[in-house]
Order: sequence, then C-alpha cells, then structure tokens
Amino acid sequence: MLSVKGLRANVGDKEILRGLDLEVGPGEVHAIMGPNGSGKSTFAHVLSGRAGYGVTAGSAIFEGRDLFDLEPEERARLGLFLAFQYPVELPGVNNTYFLKAALNSIRKARGESELDAVSFLRLIKERLKILHLDDSLLKRAVNAGFSGGEKKRNEIFQMALLEPRLAILDETDSGLDIDALRVVADGVNALRGPERSMIVVTHYQRLLDYIEPDYVHVLAKGRIIRSGGKELALELEEKGYGWIDAEVEAA
Amino acid sequence: MNGDPQIGFERWLAEPSAGAAPDWLESFRSGAREDVRARLLPHSKEEAWRYTSVKSLLEQGFAQSDETMTALQPDDLEEILVPGFETHRLVLVNGRYVPELSAPGDWPEGVRVGGLRALLESDPDALRERINATVDEPQPFFSALNTAGLDDGLVVLLGPGAIVERPIELIHLSVGLDEPRVAQPRHIVRLDAAAQATLVERYVSLGNSVYCTNSVVEVSLGRDAILRHERVQMESPNAFHLTGLYLVQDENSHYMGVNIGLGARWARTDLNARFRGRHAECVLRGLYLAGDGQLLDYHLDVDHAVPDCRSQENFKGILHGKGRAVFDGRVLVAKDAQKTDAAMSNRNLMLSEQAEVDTKPRLEIKADDVKCSHGTTVGQIDPEMLFYLRSRGISEPLARRMVCLGFAGEIIETLGSEALREHISEQVGRRLEATSLS
Ligand SMILES: Nc1ncnc2c1ncn2[C@@H]1O[C@H](COP(=O)(O)OP(=O)(O)OP(=O)(O)O)[C@@H](O)[C@H]1O
Ligand SMILES: [Mg+2]
Repeated sequence: MLSVKGLRANVGDKEILRGLDLEVGPGEVHAIMGPNGSGKSTFAHVLSGRAGYGVTAGSAIFEGRDLFDLEPEERARLGLFLAFQYPVELPGVNNTYFLKAALNSIRKARGESELDAVSFLRLIKERLKILHLDDSLLKRAVNAGFSGGEKKRNEIFQMALLEPRLAILDETDSGLDIDALRVVADGVNALRGPERSMIVVTHYQRLLDYIEPDYVHVLAKGRIIRSGGKELALELEEKGYGWIDAEVEAA
Repeated sequence: MNGDPQIGFERWLAEPSAGAAPDWLESFRSGAREDVRARLLPHSKEEAWRYTSVKSLLEQGFAQSDETMTALQPDDLEEILVPGFETHRLVLVNGRYVPELSAPGDWPEGVRVGGLRALLESDPDALRERINATVDEPQPFFSALNTAGLDDGLVVLLGPGAIVERPIELIHLSVGLDEPRVAQPRHIVRLDAAAQATLVERYVSLGNSVYCTNSVVEVSLGRDAILRHERVQMESPNAFHLTGLYLVQDENSHYMGVNIGLGARWARTDLNARFRGRHAECVLRGLYLAGDGQLLDYHLDVDHAVPDCRSQENFKGILHGKGRAVFDGRVLVAKDAQKTDAAMSNRNLMLSEQAEVDTKPRLEIKADDVKCSHGTTVGQIDPEMLFYLRSRGISEPLARRMVCLGFAGEIIETLGSEALREHISEQVGRRLEATSLS
C-alpha cells in the first residue's frame, strides 16, 4: 500500500528526514512515536504534499503511484488522508459546503457519482453520530472557533466521511480529554478494515491501548531507528527516549 | 476640448428637461452650475483625489441623459431580478423613474415612496426641506454636478413610527444609448422618529455599454429611526460610477449600511456620515472585488460631532489581475464628543502581484475620553488554508475560491435577505471563477 524508501527531506537548508524507510501493508496499523522535533509531522506533511519541503532523495510509492509526482489533491483522491496535528481554521468557509466539495471531488476521482443533497445529509449525520458531534457543527465555518478537542474530532469525522485507504493521524490524541479520546478511538476502530491502513503518530501509550497497532516504530532524528510490536510502546513509556542517542550513534 | 478640461463636464450641465420647477430648486441648480464652472477639476493634489484621476472619465465626453427609455418591457427585467427577493420594487432607467417597470405594492400609512420628479410636480413642498439638506456647502465637485442636473431619482419618506417590513428595492438600470450618457439621480431618504425600513439600491445594466452614473443619496434619520441600507454596485464592466452618500443621524438612530462593489471600470464612492444626536449608531460595511481594468475607490468620512455615538467601519477587498482599489477612511471625533466608540478596519486579499491597493485609515480625535481603533491589512491567501483544503481532495482553483468567499462571507453574511446573500455570493464566486481560468 505504502512503501517509503530512503526518504530525505529538507526545510530550508536543514535536513529533517534523513533516510526514512517504512512499509505499510493493506489493513495494517502502524504507530510512530518519537521525541519532539524528530520529524514525525514533517514526514506526514511530505507524504501529503505540503509545500515548503524539499525532497532530496528516496521515494514514496502509494497504491502504485509515486506520491512526489502528485499534487496534494491528487494524493487525497488516491485515498491518502492526513488528520492534522493542528487543524487549520477556515473563517467563513461553511462546513457543509466544504465537506460536500471534498467528498464529491474524491468520489468523482473514484468514478462514483456525486451524492445528491439528501443522501449527502444522511451520510453526514450518520458519521457525525459516530464521533458524538453535534449537527450544529455543519452550519459553522470549518474549525473556526472550535475547541481543541472539537478540532481533533472534526478531523476524524472527515476521515469517516472520506473513507481513505491510508490515514495518517498526527497526534490526534493530544488535547483530548479521556472521554473524547475514547470516542475518537472508537471512531478510528470502526473504520479499520482489511483495505484501510493507518499511521498513528502519538506520544502516548494510552491511545495505543484503544487503537491497537500492528507495528510500533521509533522515529528519531529523521529516521526510523527501531521497529517492533505493540510491546515496544510499553517499553518506551517506561524508559523514555534517553537511550536514543546511543542507539543513533551506533546505527 | 483639448485646452480646457472643464469643457469635459460642460455637457453634464445641460438644462434639465422637466417642466416648470419650483424657484427654490431652480436656484439650487443654477447656483450649482455656476459653482461648478468656477471650480477647478478634482486633481491629485487634493487629499480626496490623491489616488484617483478623473482623466479617463473626462475622455468619454459623457452628456446628460435626457430621455426616458420607454421601450423596455417588464420582461426585460427578468435577467436582473434576484430570485426569491420579495421587495417593493422601484425601477429607474438611465436615472429616470419608470412606473411601468416598477412594482411598488402597497405601503403602510405615513409612507411616501416614488419618483422624485413626480413628487416635484405634485407636491414640491414635501421636498423643499429635504433636497440638499444633508450636503454641506460648498458641495464636492460631483455632488455639485448632480445638483446642477437635479431632475429625478427616488424618494423614500417615512412618517413618525412608520415601519416598512419588506425591503424597498431601488433598481437603477442603465441601458446603452447611441452616445455615452451620464445619469445623475438624486435619492432622498427620510425616516422620521422611530420609523424603520430596509432600502436596497442595486446599480445594474443590460449589456456592457459605456455610461456613467453619478448618484447622490441623501439620508436623514430622525430620533430612534432604524435604517438598513444595502447598496450593490454591479454596473457594466465599461461603466463609470460615482456615489455621494450623505447621512445625518439624530439621537438613538441606527444605520446599518453595506456597500458591495463588483462592477464598473471606474467607481468612486464617498460615504459621509454625521451624528447630530447622541447615542446613535452607524455601521458602514463594504466588500469590493476588483480585477483587470477596474478601479474601485472608497472614501469614508464619519463625523462624531456629538458625544456618546458609536460607529463601525469594516471594509474588505479582494483584488485580482491588475485590479486597483482605494480605501480612504476618516473618522473625526470632535472635542466634546466624549464616549465616542469608533472602530475602523480595512482588510485586503491580493490574488495577484499586479493588483494594487492604497489603504489609509485616519482617526482624528480631539476628545480625550473615547474608544477608537483602526487596523488595515494587505495580504495573500494563507497557504496553510489552501493546503488544508487540497489535502481533502479539493482542487487548487476551488480551494482559492473557497478561501476568498470565506473572506468575503463576513460582509455578505450581514445582508438582511437570504436571497440577496445567495445572489451576491454567486456573483462573487462567478467573478473569481473567471479569474482563475485566465
Ligand atoms: N517550516 C519549518 N521551518 C523551520 N523548521 C521547521 C519547519 N518545519 C519543521 N521544522 C523543524 O523540523 C523539525 C521536525 O519538526 P516536526 O514538526 O516534524 O517534529 P515532530 O516530530 O512532529 O515533533 P512534535 O512531537 O513536537 O510534534 C523540528 O526541529 C522543527 O523545528
Ligand atoms: Mg508533530
């Protein structure tokens, strides 16, 4: 599904990703953990096509296509979804209109017909319920004035609506209270399936209690320095990242 | 025509064609004619004309429009009506009120609405205290021109406590004539104490012809009166448009104005507001969209002459292609106008590098116990917003349009009618769509 090999990327003259490898198969859930500033969000952004990064080496093949040949919207239409660590506020952009534009452009790319108003609303209401979000959200501007938790839930709600093949959740758990965390995790789990893969970026083991990963990776200084099963997350929780320097030196 | 530029406006001064006018009006006209002839043309050394030249306007050789277009049928209006917008409709064609095209409907007691010329003929005294009542002498150049040719327009008079529920819609329609014409309507709006109304002025055209509209709007609000005043300038892309709005407010009156500017090649809008009684409120909002070959020039002059009044000026602009705009906003707070609350803001979204805006908010505060603020911004579309939208599968052109419409939405939302909001959003969207293709 996703195959990243030897990925190097810069911001300005600063190299952030330094030879990153990652293979994600269909239906797999991969957790990525790692210290602040290690490049987790950068990795997510480079995959989804945000401007401002220079890819200097390596490749990222998704569903048989080289992601770096594609515009961000083309990647989304292929089935890539990023739940932002910091969702962007869009003042004056009506949520319903936004969701409809997004869904229809993705459906069109998949060769499906645009949804009529009635089926669209039905679908939206059903997905809102999964995330325990209120209808009133639809009338508001996208993320504008949303609380931190609402923004995060809104990201997962969008994911539920757009049904991507690969979703990257960048610290979706940070800023959520315990109940919201559970709601979000339930939402994510409801979307798990043999055809849908996920990369879950998090600092906390707690999320992984709810969303059980198949693999856990440690990203440090722009590379995956260790991979393992979910027990690796427990180990990190216990030991912290202090051992990393030694590990990176050794590598 | 070459040597003396003043000659360019001589033909705006042709004698009005109406029958016998009352003496007082004749003396307004002739006074203004002499005044204009003695005057220098607006030039760039005047503060109010620093950014905008009248040269292109002069070059057209406009002549005063003096005929009523009677050939139009109500069906011809079809394409300019706003679907679902239920109004008292009054139609002016090339500056003349045309009853055959209008659908005023019924009015509550104490309300007089109709053509200015008709009222001048039937009851001139009703207008005597109203015409030129809000415009200070010496009148600004183009207002003086309007006075010199004063002959028709719309009159809206509400007696004490009168309330008109449905919006009063003034459609100012321009239709191309054989030669370039200037229409100079004078609109008179008076709300007596505690009266309430919504007035929507729409400047539109059939076809893309060259013409000029030089309108003067006089608005006076009595005590406790409430007026919602929405103005939509959607002239032909080759047209010239001038508005001089003069607003005077008595105690505790409320004025909520929205000025939408989408059309015209060259447009100049002067909004003058003056508080005459305390605890009054004036809100001036605006949205302008200027592209290739367009200049949209706004001047606000808000005079806090008395204490305890509130004003809010909020204009937003979107500029694309080689579009140009000017925002010159002045708020004057007199020495004893304590407890004044004034907030001015002008924000501009630049969609191209060739677009240009001159923005100049000016607060002149002579009182010491006031709350006044101003802010201006000139920026581009936030790339984070674009990326967010595109990451959801939305194409770049649509993403740009959505962000622009969101920006404009803050102003459009304040329009009173859903039908009009939709109409304006659609018009803005359509213009943005045309630009992203080019
Ligand atoms: N636009 C930018 N300009 C300059 N430096 C940047 C930029 N974007 C990222 N960086 C730097 O790249 C490094 C990696 O940042 P990134 O956001 O990917 O870290 P992260 O692993 O997601 O951290 P966190 O856990 O705090 O979210 C940091 O040192 C950051 O300061
Ligand atoms: Mg991050």
